[in-house]
Amino acid sequence: MRNAVVVLALVAFVWGAPVSFALAQAPAIENELYLITPVSKDVHDPMLKAFAAWAKKKYGVDVKTSAIPKGTPVAYGQILEWKGKPQADVFWGGEGTLFDNLAAEGLLEKVQLPKAMWEAIPPAIGKPVPLPLKDPKGFWVGTTLEPYGLIYQPKLLKRLGVEIRDWEDLLNPKLKGQIAQCTPDRSSSSHASYEVILQTYGWEKGWEWLKKLAANTGIFTARSRDVPNVVAKGEFAVGFAVPSYMAFAEVLAGYELVFVYPKNAYVTPEPMAVLKGAPHPKAAHAFIEFCLSEEGQLLLSGLGVYPITPGLKVQGPAGSNQEKAVAFTGGLRSFFEVEIGNVYDDKIAGEKKRIEEVNSYFRKEIAEKHKEIVK
Amino acid sequence: MSATAQAAAPAGLGVRAAGRSLGGLLGYGAIWAFMAVFLIYPLLHLFYDAFTTEAGEFTLANFRDFFTDRFYLRALGNSILLGVGTVVTTSLIGVTFAFLLLRYEFPGRRLFTYLSIVPMIMPPLVGVMGFVFILGRAGTVNILLMDYLGFAKPINFMYGVHGILIVETLHLFPLMTLSIVDAMSKISPSLDEAAESVGARGFRKFRDITFPLTTPGYVSGALLVFIWTFADFATPLVVGVDDLLASQAYLNIVQFVDRRLFKMGIVISAIMVLLAIVFLIVAKKYVSIKDYSSLSYSVIERKTLPPLAKAGVVCFLGLILILAFIPYLGIALDAFGKGWALTPFPVRYTLQYFERVAFETPKFILNSLLYAGISVLICIAVGVPIAWVGARTRLPGREVLDSLTTLILALPGTGIGIAYMRAFRDPLPGIEVAFIGLWLVIPVVLGVRRLPYTVRGTYASLQIVHRSYEEAGESVGATRARTFGDITLPLIWKGVLVGSLYSFILALQEASATLLLVVPGHEMMTVGIFNFYIGGSVNEAAALGFILILLGAACLLAINRLAGTRMGGVFG
Repeated sequence: MRNAVVVLALVAFVWGAPVSFALAQAPAIENELYLITPVSKDVHDPMLKAFAAWAKKKYGVDVKTSAIPKGTPVAYGQILEWKGKPQADVFWGGEGTLFDNLAAEGLLEKVQLPKAMWEAIPPAIGKPVPLPLKDPKGFWVGTTLEPYGLIYQPKLLKRLGVEIRDWEDLLNPKLKGQIAQCTPDRSSSSHASYEVILQTYGWEKGWEWLKKLAANTGIFTARSRDVPNVVAKGEFAVGFAVPSYMAFAEVLAGYELVFVYPKNAYVTPEPMAVLKGAPHPKAAHAFIEFCLSEEGQLLLSGLGVYPITPGLKVQGPAGSNQEKAVAFTGGLRSFFEVEIGNVYDDKIAGEKKRIEEVNSYFRKEIAEKHKEIVK
Repeated sequence: MSATAQAAAPAGLGVRAAGRSLGGLLGYGAIWAFMAVFLIYPLLHLFYDAFTTEAGEFTLANFRDFFTDRFYLRALGNSILLGVGTVVTTSLIGVTFAFLLLRYEFPGRRLFTYLSIVPMIMPPLVGVMGFVFILGRAGTVNILLMDYLGFAKPINFMYGVHGILIVETLHLFPLMTLSIVDAMSKISPSLDEAAESVGARGFRKFRDITFPLTTPGYVSGALLVFIWTFADFATPLVVGVDDLLASQAYLNIVQFVDRRLFKMGIVISAIMVLLAIVFLIVAKKYVSIKDYSSLSYSVIERKTLPPLAKAGVVCFLGLILILAFIPYLGIALDAFGKGWALTPFPVRYTLQYFERVAFETPKFILNSLLYAGISVLICIAVGVPIAWVGARTRLPGREVLDSLTTLILALPGTGIGIAYMRAFRDPLPGIEVAFIGLWLVIPVVLGVRRLPYTVRGTYASLQIVHRSYEEAGESVGATRARTFGDITLPLIWKGVLVGSLYSFILALQEASATLLLVVPGHEMMTVGIFNFYIGGSVNEAAALGFILILLGAACLLAINRLAGTRMGGVFG
């Protein structure tokens, strides 16, 4: 009897060995994934949910996902503070320059993607200044395209008797106290849009313009996500430097908002990178792969952002979120169908010194004097 | 303590006392160790950070930077002005409430008494959100004014310092009412009679009897109101004001990019803590726990008012309470209303937000209950002994303990949160994780912050239990532990429970220290509200706020059943 058990165990072992060997070879991923991201819940939540389902199908793993929502500057600072021992796996969103800085600090791991997937993404977009969509060194990759534009509450704007088509319309005196914006030191979308103005008009004239904008500004919100929020509610009529998806999320939630894509507005590729020393690196790389897969890109296209691969377009059956998104951004289906204007030069704007200069100029000359400027 | 004491019991009185003190001293030492590690050390660390450079060298430059910066000085001035302003407005309302509720009889007095505490249950951020929904530029009131009364422009009720003043006043006046009610109900009617018998009436009586005797309660209430307003950063941010000290501390700390700004955040927190200590020293005479020595509640005879005055009183109380309940209405409407904009009330209603916050992600509610529960256990384990030591012993250092617990009341939450962030960021030996990386940090910081309520609730009850009951127990040979268990505890449990319930409500609502310390994946309701709000899901934030308010109201009802409004003493 006892022998039989031994024999059985032996047989099981011999039989089982190749099986377990094969299992070990399957590219399993960890069962947890943590994002740190300025991309708001409207987009990161559905993406994480879909990723969990995708990972279950592909790897048979139930991945528990969670996101640490932080504005871009804060997330960036937090990653520096972690000093290579991050509490998150993936950093998603913001501007490429910050990712370049992190890579230079040795805090990012190279992105591991199938070659075809990597190459499907063009290196840059926009004229006259090209805006990179991925890191030539491979430390980050863009995931989607989205403009930082202007939004307004149509009923309120009509009541005020104002129309908004481009930047200049914001300076209309009728809009006094009606504009909501976040400060450039708290929001990267605001910062990038300030740079667009500064690089269009030059430093001196650019700040003149921004002071006039401040004169019409009724509130500097605590976070960039508050801007579409207060405009959707009707508390303020116009929002400045709003990522398209944030405004679209309000539309999906049942509010009335109109999006304007002004000339040469900043377009973000929402870069994504794996943090060096991430607790769940395999799940992190798998998440990037999911985001760039056709499934991931199609999901994104229903959330108010655009595919980063030229082959895909935002389209769907009538009444779908995709079609609503197209209507919302004025008929645009792909960023690769039209000429994209860009003046934002990350070689100028990305310098750490320049970032601090812009922020401290804003603080000294606009934030601290806002009450006088309004008068 | 009990084991040592019991073992030593038969060996005669002298040894018994020694054994008792040995075991007792160990427990006393443990309490001191807790206070040292979780209160004194983090605060010292905060000051160390404020007075050193990044390299760790001593410097005064950080403070020079603060006091030479026009913007920060303005923020400091604004914060103090706002605090003082709120004390004035809450005094006007709170004291009037207290007098009316205590001294006069009018219809609905009991209901008004209960309702007047309710506005206190308002988690940070939720209150101001609720106000904006009703009184904002596109809030119900303005929409009605514009659509039906032909106003061309909305009235700006909310955006600016006056908005903060409205929110804080209507939220905090109950603290003032409670403190005054508590103090006034301790004035013996015989004093009143004595005064009247020698001809002192009206103003004279008020000046010579009522005023001096209620001053301690008033001062401690005023201090709490001041510090609360001073430390609140959520309300100003929503109404677009950032030249206040608390907002600057928060904004500078939650950005990591600019190390200089980060340092300024620490310096501002240190200044806020220092100011709290200064205020406390100034008010020390009044807010010390010792002043609760004459704690027998007197029965006050209520005067019946003439009908017209009755109507006036009811109208006044009703009006203030309607104003104070505005945020509840706003929160409720937004929690159920879908796509509510530019109409007086939502046009479509849904339960989807509740589904999302209560069923899809129940973690907020579960974590809140768990952490607040643990924090109350900490409050009881540490707070009841502190109260007992203060009321029943002459141990050295007990007065310092009293001052420390009072200090906690005055400490701004942002300051404690930042102190913890700095003090506990090194990995703990053995587990490679810093204390601030463990979820346990949340119940601990909540326990510390809410400790005073348990201490005061217990202390007040101990004062009522006459020492002679315990002496009777001891005289028949019961150990002190047994005496405590058999005699004292049954007499004070209500006070302990009420103090603990207050600790629990306020732990549930805490959102300043915890916002800075929250560990990813372990968010509680207040953090959820904040995250939903800044993540743009205002409706979800409102739904979660609604649930939190209901929980608070349930606890308050329990307190009311147990003790009526008499437990105001826990706040002083």
